[in-house]
Amino acid sequence: MQTTEILIHKETTCYHCGEACLEEIVKLDEKTFCCTGCKLVYEILSENELNTYYCLEDQPGISLKKNRHRGGFDFLDDPAVVEQIADFMQGETVHVSLSIPNIHCTSCVWLLENLYKLDSGIKNSRVNFLKRELSISYNRKETSLRSIAELLSSIGYEPELRLEKLDQKSGLFPNRRLWLKLGVAGFAFGNIMLFSFPEYLSGSTLDSQGAYHIFFGILNIALALPVLFYSSSDYLKSAWAAIKQGGINLDVPISIGILALFLRSVYEIVSGTGAGYMDSFTGLIFFLLIGRIVQNKTYERLSFDRDYKSYLPISITVVDSGGSTKTVSIDKLKEGDRMLVRNQELIPADSLLLSEKAFVDYSFITGESDPVEIQKGDRIYAGGKIMGTSAEMSIIKEVSGSYITKLWNDAAFDPAQKKNITTLADRISPHFTLAVIGISVTSGFLWLPYGSDMAISVFTAVLIIACPCALALSSPFTLGSALNIFSRNGLYIKSTDVVENLAKAGSVVFDKTGTLTQADSAEVTFRGNLLSASDASLIKSVCRQSTHPLSQKIADHLDSYPKVPVRLFDEILNKGIKSETAGRQVVIGSPEFVKGFLKNGSIKKVKYKRSVSQVDVAVDGEWLGWFEITGKYRSGIRELLNYLKTRFSIFLISGDNDTQKEHLATFFDEDSLRFQQTPQEKLEFIKNLQKQNDGRVVMIGDGLNDAGALQQSDFGIALTENISSFTPACDAILDSSSLNRLDTFINFARKSINIIKYSFGLSLAYNVIGLSFAVAGKLTPLVAAIIMPVSSISIMIFTTTATWLTAKRMGMNQWK
Amino acid sequence: MLIGFSLFVALIFLGLFFWAVRDGQYDDAHTPAMRILFDNKETDSKETDTSKRTDD
Amino acid sequence: METELLHQPEKKEAVGKDTFYYDNKIVRQFGIATVFWGIIGFLVGLTIAIKLIYPGFLGMIPELSYGRLRPLHTNAVVFAFAGNAIFYGIYYSLPRLCKTPMWSHLLSKINFWGWQAIILSAVITLPLGFTTSKEYAELEWPIDIAITVIWVVFGVNMLMTIWKRREKHMYVAIWFYIATFVTVAVLHIVNSVEIPATFLKSYPVYAGVQDALVQWWYGHNAVAFFLTTPFLGIMYYFIPKAANRPIFSYRLSIVHFWSLIFIYIWAGPHHLLYTALPGWTQALGTVFSLMLIAPSWGGMLNGLLTLRGAWDKVREDPALKFLVVGITAYGMATFEGPMLSIGNVNAVAHYSDYIIGHVHLGALLWNGGLTFAMLYYITPRIYKTKLYSMKLANAHFWFATMGAIFYVIPMYWGGITQSLMWKEFTADGLLQYPNFLETVEQIIPMYALRAIGGTLFITGAGFAVYNLYKTAKSGNLVEQEKDQAQPLVASTNGAKEKWHRRLESRPLQLTALTLVVISIGGIIEYVPTALVDSNVPTISSVKPYTPLEVEGRDIYIAEGCVGCHSQMIRPFRSETERYGEYSKAGEFVYDHPFLWGSKRTGPDLHRLGGKYSDSWHLRHMHDPTSTSPGSIMPAYPWLLTQDMDQSSIGSRIKALRRVGVPYREGYEDEALADLQAQSEEITKDLHDSGFEQLDGIEISSEKKIIAIIAYMQRLGIDIKGNNDPFENLPSSQALVNDENE
Repeated sequence: MQTTEILIHKETTCYHCGEACLEEIVKLDEKTFCCTGCKLVYEILSENELNTYYCLEDQPGISLKKNRHRGGFDFLDDPAVVEQIADFMQGETVHVSLSIPNIHCTSCVWLLENLYKLDSGIKNSRVNFLKRELSISYNRKETSLRSIAELLSSIGYEPELRLEKLDQKSGLFPNRRLWLKLGVAGFAFGNIMLFSFPEYLSGSTLDSQGAYHIFFGILNIALALPVLFYSSSDYLKSAWAAIKQGGINLDVPISIGILALFLRSVYEIVSGTGAGYMDSFTGLIFFLLIGRIVQNKTYERLSFDRDYKSYLPISITVVDSGGSTKTVSIDKLKEGDRMLVRNQELIPADSLLLSEKAFVDYSFITGESDPVEIQKGDRIYAGGKIMGTSAEMSIIKEVSGSYITKLWNDAAFDPAQKKNITTLADRISPHFTLAVIGISVTSGFLWLPYGSDMAISVFTAVLIIACPCALALSSPFTLGSALNIFSRNGLYIKSTDVVENLAKAGSVVFDKTGTLTQADSAEVTFRGNLLSASDASLIKSVCRQSTHPLSQKIADHLDSYPKVPVRLFDEILNKGIKSETAGRQVVIGSPEFVKGFLKNGSIKKVKYKRSVSQVDVAVDGEWLGWFEITGKYRSGIRELLNYLKTRFSIFLISGDNDTQKEHLATFFDEDSLRFQQTPQEKLEFIKNLQKQNDGRVVMIGDGLNDAGALQQSDFGIALTENISSFTPACDAILDSSSLNRLDTFINFARKSINIIKYSFGLSLAYNVIGLSFAVAGKLTPLVAAIIMPVSSISIMIFTTTATWLTAKRMGMNQWK
Repeated sequence: MLIGFSLFVALIFLGLFFWAVRDGQYDDAHTPAMRILFDNKETDSKETDTSKRTDD
Repeated sequence: METELLHQPEKKEAVGKDTFYYDNKIVRQFGIATVFWGIIGFLVGLTIAIKLIYPGFLGMIPELSYGRLRPLHTNAVVFAFAGNAIFYGIYYSLPRLCKTPMWSHLLSKINFWGWQAIILSAVITLPLGFTTSKEYAELEWPIDIAITVIWVVFGVNMLMTIWKRREKHMYVAIWFYIATFVTVAVLHIVNSVEIPATFLKSYPVYAGVQDALVQWWYGHNAVAFFLTTPFLGIMYYFIPKAANRPIFSYRLSIVHFWSLIFIYIWAGPHHLLYTALPGWTQALGTVFSLMLIAPSWGGMLNGLLTLRGAWDKVREDPALKFLVVGITAYGMATFEGPMLSIGNVNAVAHYSDYIIGHVHLGALLWNGGLTFAMLYYITPRIYKTKLYSMKLANAHFWFATMGAIFYVIPMYWGGITQSLMWKEFTADGLLQYPNFLETVEQIIPMYALRAIGGTLFITGAGFAVYNLYKTAKSGNLVEQEKDQAQPLVASTNGAKEKWHRRLESRPLQLTALTLVVISIGGIIEYVPTALVDSNVPTISSVKPYTPLEVEGRDIYIAEGCVGCHSQMIRPFRSETERYGEYSKAGEFVYDHPFLWGSKRTGPDLHRLGGKYSDSWHLRHMHDPTSTSPGSIMPAYPWLLTQDMDQSSIGSRIKALRRVGVPYREGYEDEALADLQAQSEEITKDLHDSGFEQLDGIEISSEKKIIAIIAYMQRLGIDIKGNNDPFENLPSSQALVNDENE
């Protein structure tokens, strides 16, 4: 009968979050829930007539089973903290925007926008779906930020409060101004093109148009003025700044072109000799602005730059002299405060242990997975995570002074020394400008003998035609579409100009734990005589009790066996577990530990494989065998590494011990393997690697310990299981599932750089054609009006389609 | 003169465009599309405006 | 019947949310009006379609003649059917988008009853012949004023609702509604600038070429802003609602809105390609129409792609079926439009029935389709019941689509054949079909097919009426749909309020201010164009019309002859061969309003002067088949019996002088004498050539036929420059600077 029970388990899914109900089924008005958490949410919603939540999307909820630490929000009572988090305060109403990663569908948006039904203090709540952000304005008297935060987490939408959020507010929307500028340029471009039509078509009968000519001319100038001063102000300002510093960036030739175009047109209209080139002028700026909008396209949802503050939790429980505990936000911690850090919580500051002993997992810092045992009075570094029983400690260093923060004060992080990415275009522009000025001056002289006004007209014509608008458009559009394609294949890059670094990659550096190896799942194989079903369930129930990562992995491995209640349980860390379960004595642990309990004391000596951690098992003194646990490598890693080895020099730096050494030796050659690397050493390694060979250094890591290396490297990729989870500072975020396509990404980046080069060629060709017209002095407004937009549009089309085609050829999907 | 009027209408819309961008209409370009789907289903749940309806 | 609940202000509940009520009564009223006028408009359409096959259909009653019914059909379908549908959609969707009821129930009621009154006045005046002959603006000046008033009432009601909205973000549909209001208001005012001669007669201020440009600038944009933008707004609201899916890409809809608005305004002139319009305006019209493809198709794709993954819903839900077919038709029509505006395509298609096909493709499926979709979506909801029968609705869908296809394809076919026949030359350079009638007979079967298509469409509409009626009967109207939302919190983000920031947060003042600033700009532009003499080169030999010809022209307008005859010969050899010298811009300088016309079911009349004898005209008007056998032109026997309107000729001459026709000061007193003199002379000639009476009707000088003959003989003869119309008239000096007197 029992099996049917399991069977039913399988089909019923939770009404709230849709996950299969494994452990138990909770019933409430004939609906099944996978855990009490989900049921609770259902109750809250149905009480407040919010059941439309369930009919907009089916099973929209987030399972509450798994949210491990229910961080207390009492630090939000402190008005100073609220002051910092809130966007602004006005009398009683407070506006705050909270980032909520769990938003994923229409029902979530609906529920979060009807919060006022749950808490009447909330005046207005609006969701920004793409940013996963909820902006709430509430009345301070009727409700508090803390009660809101608790309400949100009670319905499964826990706000993610980060320390860094405390000090900087999300900037106003920069591209609003850009849109305005684009609007003006577009408006003027259309209108002027309209008014210049008479000049184009009935060019000959100028007299009959005489009356109109002046009227249209004035209108054109009137419309062009705002474009010059408002829309193209960015280009002129940056060009002016560049000239002041003596350097010449791409904006300088553009500004020259703009000014020449404008002045020439005004001169022509006023003197009545021609129609002026106002429409090409406004058109040019219109296309440039489009290029700029495409260029600074970022992913609103992901934030790429973090500093150390964003790793640490926002609050910690402090024990004052009277023994009572309260949570305080960590930047309030002072030396000497006594902290109580619970299981799975991060230690915010370097401190001395006060309780007997504690087990700290430094994987966050060093990447090494085995927990370290610390005795009373020893020093604990910030960033470690407490395993097992909670521990009390007293702070010896301010949060900002602790060991981990030293890492950040390293040169790699200060923004001033931000890697100056000289893009391809910038490098070309100095020669380009000189060439242009040269040609215009020489052609001016050439025409001098034929009359000065002809010379001036040719001089300005060359400047107009030679303006590198196509040049300026090619890189933003190519890289913009490349960015799109990357994002559809799981690689989210911070900005367009970083792509060049990826293209020029010379060497690739890997981190081991979490990058090459699958973070949570491990290969567990049992050696020794066959385990009976009862033994397996025994072992599983015992392992479930201990928090040691290895025992967790064994328990997961034996998950399919039913649980058995465990009576006596004693864990001696780094040694093993002894327990009385169902009347039988079970001993699991390292070989020496288990040997002590065996009746006949015999353990078959087996060659100890270096790269495998081994856990022996004995029941009632009988030695059964041992579990071999090896870090499971991600699929496709072997082919990737073999391929990369041929093209790049690849390295591995890991904080972990070198148990996996020979296993890795097959891929990496001997000297390119580094173990036991502290974050600082990783950073140094990258630095001197950059000095050594010419190519750019690409670093792939996942943990906090790689943060320094990622920042220092030319192209730091942070690997993550799911995008909305937390990643260290980096240039790009890579979805772990598409790690094995890294080589295609690098090739694709290279190819897009080539596309930019081709489009440079194309735009130069345009300029040459234009120049031939200009030098010959035949540059009528009609010709200019055709060449200018045609060159810009063709560049746009060329680059976008070329990127798409290369992506298709390389088997990357283009369409989400 | 027809040009005058067309330009007149076009400038009206430029003015509206400016107001729109300034007023932050275009800051969030995705959620409004979902928001219109939220017409209040409440009416077909138990309590609707019964005073007009003759309860059948 | 009004319960106090209707006007009950929103309750400000303590719990911080307001409860308010959407007014569904007005929605229902507009719904019923849409269906009612829709059926009438379709029926009138069908009658004139049949009249094109059997001119004798429904007898020779003046009020039911083709010329007078065609404007009735266009106005009924555009302003009554589509107009009410727009109000129906807006009054339903706007409150729900802004989470506030319509601002004032009184204004909504005025808007409703006012609009129905206007339609009623049109139904009365148009058959009686009171028309300005300007397409889609045929209604006389008092009704024009009424339209403006009601439209402003609607605008105020809408803008105030938006101003009081509880949802900060204005959904794209609202932008489309605003654009519709603002632009149609400007268009209507600009195009209805006419000087009233009598209570029901007026002359537009502009003349000839300018009048044409303004009319078609209005004409195109009326289609653009009355039949497209509101329906796009409706599409952006109803597609996501019916498919329960967010729109495909909201960012695209914003880009679509702004680009469409901007380009549409400038696409007017493509209606007048190859006419006497200056060259550059024509090229301008073409270029901008070509640019129009982008936004229209952007909208279409945005609508259709929203249904990605929801196509199964389209199978069962008739509303979605109509929406999909409607949007596809919109895509086809907006692709076809720009194609038509390309020079050589237009040369073939202009004036032919192809244009009618293009118009009805858009009208039947896009406007009609969306309106039916709305009806099927809203009715069950406001009546709290299911649609009476899905099967019937699907049947209606198939009837409507088949009807539209049977309408559009024959018109395409007929239009092209006729137009090619016009242009065909024999080997030795003569016209293959010199007699216009041969080309007409060729496509009569097409007209028959078109009538069948029309009948199918109407039967489908009949199903809809029955279905909706039964649905309404099965449920009962929720007058007050309850809704709750939070008041909009003034979200000034605390930045110091600079004066410009403060101004922006008050949209109404901002729009007012922009209007002021713009009008200054407008004036600056307007003044130079007015001062500069019209860019139309004047031909010295062209003279204004004599009073009798003015009367004849007014009868021509009243009878709606412009519905089938054009007065614009294009510079093509095929047309100059057939009709004579192509029309110059200068010839129309005194034409208030211009009568270029937009389709040639009948031949072009611009060079009719002197082509046929007076007696031919007399017999032709009395019974067209007597002079040209097989003609489908309706007979106008009442022209021989009804008297001219000689009393108002004075005020009409005064009005014409005010709009710029150079009649001498005080000529209006002598005008009557001139009129009678000229009509006596024509009647005498007729009597001399043996036509004292025709079929028993005595021909006398005060009958309308004489004025028509005078106007017919005057058409297009000025260009030859040999005769002065005022020569043998008693008045000493009719014109201001008349040198040769």
